[in-house]
Amino acid sequence: MIDAKFYTADGFTDTLPGICAFKKKTEGDLRELFRLYGYKEIETPGIEYLDIYSRPGFVKEENLYKMTDQKGRLLTLRYDGTIPAARYAAGVKEFDSFDPKLAPLRLCYIENMYRFAESGGGKQSEFTQAGVELMGSADFDADVEVIEIAIRSALSAGIRDLQISIGQVRLFEGIANEAGLDEKNRNIIREAISRRDTVTIEKTCDMLGLSDDMKQLLLMLPDASGTFDVIEDLKGRVSDPQSARALDNLKHILTALEEDGFIKYVSVDAGLTGGSVDYYTGVIFKGFTYGVGFPIISGGRYDNTVAVFGKEMECVGFSLSLTLVLTALMRQGVSMEEKPVDAIIGFELGQRGKAYAEAERLRSEGLSVILATDGMSKADIEAYAKSNGVGRAVYFG
Amino acid sequence: MLTIALSKGRLANKAIELLENAGYDCTAAKDESRKLILEDEKAGLRFIMAKPADVPTYVEYGAADIGFVGKDTLLEEGRDLYEVVDLKYGKCRLCVAGPVSLKDGRLDLIPNKRIGTKYPNITRAYFEGVKKESVEIIKLNGSIELAPLIGLADCIVDIVESGRTLKENGLDVIETVADISARVVVNRVSMKMKSDEIRPMIEKIKEQVALE
Repeated sequence: MIDAKFYTADGFTDTLPGICAFKKKTEGDLRELFRLYGYKEIETPGIEYLDIYSRPGFVKEENLYKMTDQKGRLLTLRYDGTIPAARYAAGVKEFDSFDPKLAPLRLCYIENMYRFAESGGGKQSEFTQAGVELMGSADFDADVEVIEIAIRSALSAGIRDLQISIGQVRLFEGIANEAGLDEKNRNIIREAISRRDTVTIEKTCDMLGLSDDMKQLLLMLPDASGTFDVIEDLKGRVSDPQSARALDNLKHILTALEEDGFIKYVSVDAGLTGGSVDYYTGVIFKGFTYGVGFPIISGGRYDNTVAVFGKEMECVGFSLSLTLVLTALMRQGVSMEEKPVDAIIGFELGQRGKAYAEAERLRSEGLSVILATDGMSKADIEAYAKSNGVGRAVYFG
Repeated sequence: MLTIALSKGRLANKAIELLENAGYDCTAAKDESRKLILEDEKAGLRFIMAKPADVPTYVEYGAADIGFVGKDTLLEEGRDLYEVVDLKYGKCRLCVAGPVSLKDGRLDLIPNKRIGTKYPNITRAYFEGVKKESVEIIKLNGSIELAPLIGLADCIVDIVESGRTLKENGLDVIETVADISARVVVNRVSMKMKSDEIRPMIEKIKEQVALE
């Protein structure tokens, strides 16, 4: 057993001065951005009943930090922002008698999430996410709003090179219906598409004896990226109404993003599938930048999730990983060194009153001031100011 | 600049040959020194020499954009990355092997068998997922064939190329778990952010594979 009191736990780390200041400032900017769009911030508990996550497709149960309460009931640390928001929204009594579409809930959060990422990995088990959930609207305008906030949130955090990939999970499901895929082969091909694994797609198509047209269509999904051209190209190849509607949905979203001036950040990626979380039911998107190997933004439409908690409610949302954003910015060369303190004031015995008054005066001007302790001499004060980059050293003798 | 992670050894030489045939200048990668990072600024390529099992990790985290690695390692590591080309070389099989006396279904008669392997994750997925059996897995790091000979395990799961090592030790292939060959993997973010460099490279590699 190591002497654990000196170390942070596996998967956890301190956020150091400088980085912490940058992070808190960014959190403030994001909070303001969300407010400007009419979103209300909530805090959900750090600990939830395990039950809210134990539905097939929500999360891998082994990735949850589990514990029990005093009655032996299973609890988990907060894993994400979406499921607790869904639990909360389902319990909002107003919606029992009131159609949520008339006034959708706009919620936002900035919270730490907890996940057992992997043994011994560099992936952090605790990280900060900022996100929004637009709950009670099935409209593509809601999708557009959330994607635009996602883009703005990354920009506001200081990300310059941003790429958002947009897909639609119904596109593949419709094609799979058309091909008559059973559950097992549907899962195999969906997974292969999300891994860009054309070998497996080809093998599975051959094994099932699918038509050449179908095989070509499935094989082009992982590679199909662009904007309106991809949508038109795919439109000529699909016949299932579900796929056609998915493509229309993407076209509407893209058109609005173009009108609003966001199209330069966006491309369609037909190979985007839900991945590790599969509660997505419509549009799905990921955001990328240089310097980190993981998407910094993840979001999409989840129309069936709140129903799990007892209420029909169509929703769309996204989260931005602030932790990954900070890593990316540092690797892109953004400095997060904290500014030195503005002034230090020392005083001789009996002069404390004057020193205090001067400190207060400077503080009222917004300067940061250290009032010396331990009877630091004039020389001590000057030496301290020099070695710490403090601009102003004052001594009352 | 693209960073390419190579599995040290035979697979690396083959990958370099393939890239050269595809028209990439790989002079830097052929440096015989013990350097771990080999960079050629003019060609826009940087090679890192990693242990095979670590290649998927470098690529998943984006420390490398592209990796050349065996399918066995990919299956074992289960990383989240794009698997874009089957290079069709380095072909072999991942097999359950054991004493000849266990062939023809007699292995199945042993309950809760002990299995020695370098691939605990694949082994568990195969026996629990495909064969629906509980097994005890003993993780080993080399000379896996020793385990059944000395009584440490009933059988093993390992890579088989010619099967000679097995034969010389009185063992044989009992079942095939998966066919293995070398693959090209790409980081999910690099695929987006550096698609101008990566997509043409993938296309050229695919052309080379089709030629061979």
